[in-house]
Amino acid sequence: MRLLAQPLSTDRGASPSTIAGQLALVAALTGLGIALGLAAESLAGVDRYLGRAFASGSVHGGFVSAGWLLALQGHEGWRGPALRGAGALIVASLAAKLSPAGAVAYLLIPLVIARDATMWRARLEWMGWRAPRDWRAPFVGAVAGAFLGVHLLFAASLMLGYLVAIPDGRPYLAALAYDIGANALTAEWLFRGAIFSALWRRWSFWPAAAVSTGLALVRYLLDPALPQTAELMAGAVFYTLLLGLGCCALRAWSGSLLPGYLATVAFFAAYRILLV
Amino acid sequence: MLGALGLIALIAAAIRTAGGDHVSSLHHLYLIPALWAALARGVTGGALAGLVAGLVQALSVLPLIERAGVSWPALDGLVSLSTPLTMGLTVGRLVDQSRGRGAQLGALLEIQRSLALTRPLRERLAVVAELTRRALGVDRVRLVLEAGGDAPVAASAPETFQPAEVPSSAGATPCRRLVLPLDAGQGAAGALIVERDGDLSTAACCVASALALHVALAIENARLTERQRHFAQELEEKIAGATRRLRELDQAKNEFLTIASHELRTPLTALQGFSELLLTREVPAERARRYLGHVHTESQRLGRIVGDLLDLSRIESGRGPELRPVPLDLRELVEANIEIFASQHPRHHFDWSGAGPVPPLCADRDAVDRMLKNLLSNAIKYSPHGGRVRVEAGVAVDQPGMIALSVEDDGVGIAADALPRIFDPYVRIANPETAAAPGLGLGLSLVRGLAHAHGGRIEVESLPGKGSRFRVLLPA
Repeated sequence: MRLLAQPLSTDRGASPSTIAGQLALVAALTGLGIALGLAAESLAGVDRYLGRAFASGSVHGGFVSAGWLLALQGHEGWRGPALRGAGALIVASLAAKLSPAGAVAYLLIPLVIARDATMWRARLEWMGWRAPRDWRAPFVGAVAGAFLGVHLLFAASLMLGYLVAIPDGRPYLAALAYDIGANALTAEWLFRGAIFSALWRRWSFWPAAAVSTGLALVRYLLDPALPQTAELMAGAVFYTLLLGLGCCALRAWSGSLLPGYLATVAFFAAYRILLV
Repeated sequence: MLGALGLIALIAAAIRTAGGDHVSSLHHLYLIPALWAALARGVTGGALAGLVAGLVQALSVLPLIERAGVSWPALDGLVSLSTPLTMGLTVGRLVDQSRGRGAQLGALLEIQRSLALTRPLRERLAVVAELTRRALGVDRVRLVLEAGGDAPVAASAPETFQPAEVPSSAGATPCRRLVLPLDAGQGAAGALIVERDGDLSTAACCVASALALHVALAIENARLTERQRHFAQELEEKIAGATRRLRELDQAKNEFLTIASHELRTPLTALQGFSELLLTREVPAERARRYLGHVHTESQRLGRIVGDLLDLSRIESGRGPELRPVPLDLRELVEANIEIFASQHPRHHFDWSGAGPVPPLCADRDAVDRMLKNLLSNAIKYSPHGGRVRVEAGVAVDQPGMIALSVEDDGVGIAADALPRIFDPYVRIANPETAAAPGLGLGLSLVRGLAHAHGGRIEVESLPGKGSRFRVLLPA
């Protein structure tokens, strides 16, 4: 009777099994991209860093694609934006490796995603693709991320004796562009936007935040760019947990992904000052 | 909140400047901003200030662990690191609980007061919904109350809230809904629907359940009070009505006694006077015969009055008049009466529509005769300036199985508010035009009693100044 009482919707999302299948496809394609990149590293005549850049772009592309798939709940339209986002990320990653100035390409990624997301705005509101409810939320996010980043700098320099220095301009800006266009963007898009929002609809805040932050933590711990020393791993766990939970809290409070995104960008902007 | 964070920064700077990083008692200063934030903002503020204080302290504690490993000073530092957070959480939670209970208590009192007001139920429910929304700290509340057979009464806070079948999942914040029955122990009388964007904690659900119970009890109390008020008002109206009726009856009896004594004395005086004349004087035979005729007429009149009184007394006591039903020719009875009344009242014109067939009737001849005489007598009495009196008899078209006998006049008529009382005994409706007309106020009461005794009834239609129509219906 409920079906008869409601208008027929021809625009519904796919079933969970279909989504799981498509998620497996995304994972497979991401794995293929990583494998191709790693294989290219060993090929003679190809710049080994380009292979690694391809693998890195594939990983972030996979994150963006999985985010689109979950955000649109398997609706047919997810493939186009996912391919565009993933492709742009791979291109930006390769461009950044070819020249530090190529990292500017990362700054176009938010625009690519924003362009597609605007077309699907009504369907993406549930994941936080909207303006914050409180105008102060972006500032709070930026300040919280900066506080955590500065704390990291102090802790690392005081405890472990790492140097904190104003870095050379170009590599720092290139790294910052990577954080803006890939690192922070994909983390917010997938972990807070798609995963945390979906889990929060079913569970209460803390379980949803714990699971999404746990997945983000795994992603950072598996990142080959993270130096594999015990104290840095412990620090990564500590700060990633705080950052993840903080971003979930910001997403829940403001209803938007923007404050968490700014917090992540601010945190990594501070982190890049650390000479590891 | 910003003040608490500023204070943490000041404390950290002061401790560092004083070189007191390793003096654990100085770290107790961090409790102040955590306590401040907890008191001001509850658990959120306390936890946040405690977390920031802990992170700030960590910068001095963690190098200690790095240098010396897990030592007593390091453990001491770790304890002082966690103290502001623990205290911020604990005090904040207590503050939240205390505020919540205060708000709930206030809301309950307000709810009781609002429900006791004599305003429409929907308005009272709207106030209760708003109070409940504030007490629970939720976004939307709807109260639905069964209203005894009619459509349920519902009110929302905010007013525009209409809960969908399934809570909306399109928004950036998930919507949690709780539906609770309003049950004061006699089955659910309604439902309390609570919606919140974000989490609805277990504690909030428990509070909502308790509040639903209190709201149900308050509604039940308000209903009982309203019912009592209604009953009291009804009772007052009934008592006032009965008192008024008793006064009217008392007045009617007094009037009756006055009139009856006059009506009885008139024939008695005539009887006494004429009999005394016959006894004490020599009266010529012809005059004596005339006197005896007067005595006979007046004794017949006296007998009718006494007969009416006896019949009415029997009717009122529930025994009914003694009837001897016989096959009766209604046409013959009507024509005989019209002849008598026409000869006595030449100013009135009698219309008898007896051209059609009048079916035979099995009834007490004397009773039908008295009913007809009473109705004709009234028609003449209440047409003081003469006029037309229309008599009809025949099968009642609108009442199958009944024979109707109706008498219609174009006299003074009866006011609508007096119509319900005209069949009561001893009642004479005040009218200046007919005040001088003789009568005991028994006629219509008697007609009704006789009609009922036959298994029939009497009906009346009247317009003041236009006339009246009485219709007696008797079983065929």
